[in-house]
Amino acid sequence: MNKIAMNKPSMGQNSAQHKQAFDEPLWWGLFSAGGVCFAILLPAVILFIAVLLPLGLLPAEELSYERASSLLFSVPGFLFVGAVVCLPLFHAAHRLRHGMFDISVGNDALNKKLMYGSAALLSLLALGVVVAGMLS
Amino acid sequence: MDKSSSQRLPPLKRNWWLKHRFFKLYMLREATVLPLVFFTLCLLAGMVALLQGAESWQGWIAFMGSPIVLLLNLLALAASLYHAATFFVLFPRVMPIRIAGHSLPDQVIVAGQWAGVVVVALLFFWLLGRG
Repeated sequence: MNKIAMNKPSMGQNSAQHKQAFDEPLWWGLFSAGGVCFAILLPAVILFIAVLLPLGLLPAEELSYERASSLLFSVPGFLFVGAVVCLPLFHAAHRLRHGMFDISVGNDALNKKLMYGSAALLSLLALGVVVAGMLS
Repeated sequence: MDKSSSQRLPPLKRNWWLKHRFFKLYMLREATVLPLVFFTLCLLAGMVALLQGAESWQGWIAFMGSPIVLLLNLLALAASLYHAATFFVLFPRVMPIRIAGHSLPDQVIVAGQWAGVVVVALLFFWLLGRG
């Protein structure tokens, strides 16, 4: 299932070379969707949640426990997490996998499973937290 | 790639990208996901804290305010903007937009995407910043 260009010479030239990579369009699709979210949404999200909020520059009640819960544990909150956590995670996984290949770290077949596997697990955790919050 | 095209290219050394500015910028762009992952993990921790209760939520806000976390998240903010700058110029190359037979200039598409960033920020301001 490796991309031809990413096969290491030691992997045998003829065996792996002509395998069709059925899953690659999925990873590239998630990568670009995540890239759009990273570029359009994340600057504002990081600015408000990770800079202004901890510095106390937001009006005090805007992200109080009650307000934050009602915003996050809702259907829009679920979509927000999908766009701001899950898709960027797959974008990051893809870039990390290819970056590791670029600097010859590890083995691509394993990196691929580790990276996309972690992205999938963390995405499930994030969406699970929202669902748990909606049910509680 | 004349007669050697049937053979494999020799594997690149690990530092191949240090030899040219273009490749260094490419690697810098690839590396923008490192602070992004840090921010995402922070955000996940915050979501779990919110699920746990009011006390954990306040604890998480205090954690987010600690100097090193704040610094790394400022780096994530800068990285997201650098990623945006490199990503937006790709759009007109990958998907040129034609309206009524005229192709939209690249700068218009890039500016439109920056406008998207500003609109999202204004949306956040409307949602969280009014007091």
